[in-house]
Amino acid sequence: MEGRDTKMEIRAHTVSAGKAEGEAVVYNGPFSFLGDLDPATGKVPAPRHELEGKSLVNKVFVFTTGKGSSGGDFAAWAAKENGNAPAAMICLESEPVLSGAVIAAEIPTVDRPEKNVFDLIKTGDYVRVDATAGIIEVVGK
Amino acid sequence: MLLTDEEKRMQAGDYGPGIQRAMDLLVKLGDSFDAERLVPISYGHISYDFCPEKFWDLMTEGVGKTRHRVTTHPSYSPELWKEWGLLLADQWAGEHERKLKRYKELGWLRTETCAEYLLGIVPRKGDIVSMGGSCMQVANNSLFGARVDRMGILVSLAAAVCGRTPLMGLLLPENRYASHMVELDDLDVSDWTLSHYHCLGYYIGDQVPGFKPVVVNGLPANLPFDFARALVISMPTSGSVTLAHVVGTTPEAPTLEAALGGKKPEHLIRVGKREMTQTWERLNVWDNDRVEHVVFGCPHATIDEIGRVAALVEGKTIKTSLLIGASAPVEALARRQGWAECIEKAGGHFLPVCPSITNPFTRRDIAGDNQAKSAATDSARSAHYLATVSGVKVFFGTEEECINAAITGTWKGEIPKWK
Repeated sequence: MEGRDTKMEIRAHTVSAGKAEGEAVVYNGPFSFLGDLDPATGKVPAPRHELEGKSLVNKVFVFTTGKGSSGGDFAAWAAKENGNAPAAMICLESEPVLSGAVIAAEIPTVDRPEKNVFDLIKTGDYVRVDATAGIIEVVGK
Repeated sequence: MLLTDEEKRMQAGDYGPGIQRAMDLLVKLGDSFDAERLVPISYGHISYDFCPEKFWDLMTEGVGKTRHRVTTHPSYSPELWKEWGLLLADQWAGEHERKLKRYKELGWLRTETCAEYLLGIVPRKGDIVSMGGSCMQVANNSLFGARVDRMGILVSLAAAVCGRTPLMGLLLPENRYASHMVELDDLDVSDWTLSHYHCLGYYIGDQVPGFKPVVVNGLPANLPFDFARALVISMPTSGSVTLAHVVGTTPEAPTLEAALGGKKPEHLIRVGKREMTQTWERLNVWDNDRVEHVVFGCPHATIDEIGRVAALVEGKTIKTSLLIGASAPVEALARRQGWAECIEKAGGHFLPVCPSITNPFTRRDIAGDNQAKSAATDSARSAHYLATVSGVKVFFGTEEECINAAITGTWKGEIPKWK
């Protein structure tokens, strides 16, 4: 827990404005709302996926970038309408399908963090994301 | 972002709430990628069936007939689904019909396919096209040299409504040179079929971070269209590749140097027998050999593909359900050839649906208790979405192995013996 009780701020670039906070789920890989998240449950269904069965509902999801079908945005919208979307998202570098998805579904999202989020944020950490200002705050466990 | 006076009026709501909302989305997206301005599109491609109804209504509210052409992605057929005993078909009818009615009011074309180039709707080199559907984005970019950025289904509706798209990403010529280069190591492709190219594309897509353009080197020049298509469309399934150059085959890759823009590649991806075997195995997600469904047409089938399937099932009765995803005009041609009847007589069906994401036979929320629990396909893209979206067991193999599975109800496919 050393160094964990002090709050830490990481600056990042705004993808989709808004503020949210929650427990982090960290996945060092790419993500698609279509196929990697069941909009009816908010869980990761992909067979052989490291996060299989894990819920992203109201979590701060940390990952590398978007991937896959351009249907990622309607799946994001459906997840949000069902109350099964992540609270906020942090990725290394967004791409247009992911950005369009989080802008349309109004999920606060930042990319291009100035520090290595995979070193500094662990699954279970409590994280605040002010996507409008471009600030990630890691509160700790 | 710099907007023209006309665009400012669109943004201010002078042309109604739909266009205003669509502009808001395009401007926010453009701003997040530091786009300078919006540019007019040659035509737009959307999906009304994939678009959530609430979003569809918000974006099209108050929108009249557009001056630019708009076409649509594969669509649903709830009446046929019902006829075929898919128990929950009725639940899909109302929303589909309401959106289709509005789609027709807008004067947009009912192409209903992910392979419009088979209908003669082919972008010229350099044409700017906005579209949803990563499969046709990568095909139009790579095989025809159109300028298509990666874009979602919702954003493509906003672009179609406004006739504009943010000037960013792959619309900018300097972003179209390959940064990632693929070299084939110890592979002889002389006996490769469609599914081999699907498998190669699926592996490559997984290796490329983000949507960096890729160049594939070392394949025979002038690769047949269907092989080149299978290769490029599989990439945005396992990843987000939206532009793939194939040296000696695609228009922006007459040479390796041209595809790389005279620079050295940032990354080299080597593919050999080991990578191909691992990918082929990864696409197979099954525990016993019982096949309940067989699907072709991801992306939508060419007339040649339908002809081959017809020849293989002629005079036979199949044990599984069989679906061919194809556009209505290609199906009509197959009917004139006598091939559609031949396939239907054996027990097969045609639909202008996305046979991977919305396959009515494997989706429990369409088929109900009649859901097929396992499906065979020769498309990596189909295999991926059948496993992840429908959650069924998947057999991936060659066209012939899939047809054999349809006839026998049993999977006898094998990992290819790479040469």
